[in-house]
Amino acid sequence: MIRKDAMKIVLEQIDSEPIISANGFMSRDLFELKEKNSNFYMIGSMGLASSIGLGVALKNPRKKIFIFDGDGNIFMNLGSLVTIGYLRPKNMIHIIFDNNSHESTGGQPTASNKINISKFGHICNYKIFVVENKISLKNCLKKIKKINQSIMIVIKISKSKEKSKRVSLEPEFIKKRFMKSFNRKN
Amino acid sequence: MTNSFQTKIFNFFQKNDITNFIGVPDSTLKEFISLGLKNKKVIVTTREEEAIGIATGMCLSGSKSLVFMQNAGFANSLSTITSLVKLYKIPIIFLIGWRGYLKDDAPEHIMIGKIQPDLLKIIELPSKILTSNNWKSNCEWAIKKIQNNSSCALIVKREFHD
Repeated sequence: MIRKDAMKIVLEQIDSEPIISANGFMSRDLFELKEKNSNFYMIGSMGLASSIGLGVALKNPRKKIFIFDGDGNIFMNLGSLVTIGYLRPKNMIHIIFDNNSHESTGGQPTASNKINISKFGHICNYKIFVVENKISLKNCLKKIKKINQSIMIVIKISKSKEKSKRVSLEPEFIKKRFMKSFNRKN
Repeated sequence: MTNSFQTKIFNFFQKNDITNFIGVPDSTLKEFISLGLKNKKVIVTTREEEAIGIATGMCLSGSKSLVFMQNAGFANSLSTITSLVKLYKIPIIFLIGWRGYLKDDAPEHIMIGKIQPDLLKIIELPSKILTSNNWKSNCEWAIKKIQNNSSCALIVKREFHD
């Protein structure tokens, strides 16, 4: 399963809920698969998708907030897990597409084959799921609907040769549109 | 910098709708941060970039935020400021303690303290230095900046040794 396949399955469960997507191919895949107002494509600031997502989650406790993260991205900001675990937002679904590589920069390896990301999530008070195929991903997405706690789903994926197009929107436009997508009453 | 001075700044920002104070502690800003903690308004993060990320998420939700840090942490934050805050025009007030302002400060602060004013200029982050006389007008200036969707920095000089 490549990232795009996994992302497609996840996106079937997402309607207008906000998604904060990590820089690089992550945001590009999302842009190609499901362009919508409530997507925040983080095109720079590597590592910070989960921190931005935490800020959104804390201020919108009644909305489910999705974070599309990568193994390279989360390793760059492990401190974010500490703060998330400390604050324990109940409305955050942190998905880590783990291809054991920095695919956007040429496929260089990360440590995720030897360092278990889900264990970090476990000690940081997440409910953890690790899935390796489409069926278990679909089952997991059904299960999480009833869970009232920060959720981490580590999806083991393989590297892909496909490259999605760049996010062609102006960053300020992405921001304004994302902000407008919130119904402040929620 | 006296206790009452930092207390006034904190109270001013609270009154002006700044609801989130996020950052990494700095001894120069001790009173400000302590007051925020007492009021349960502060989130202490592991690094400054993380604080900026969380503040960004809150700004995106229409909630105004201030990020505090020491200037060592400002140096950590350069890429986040250029590729997130400036790029997306995220309105954040940075409150930065200026170590290395005194020429005989601890050695690790000397170089960053020296280049800090230039760094602020180079990354085009408008800034003002707070004093006991000007704090109010400069804090008002910062509020206007974020109302206009722009980020800015307020600097607190470290004028004592401990």
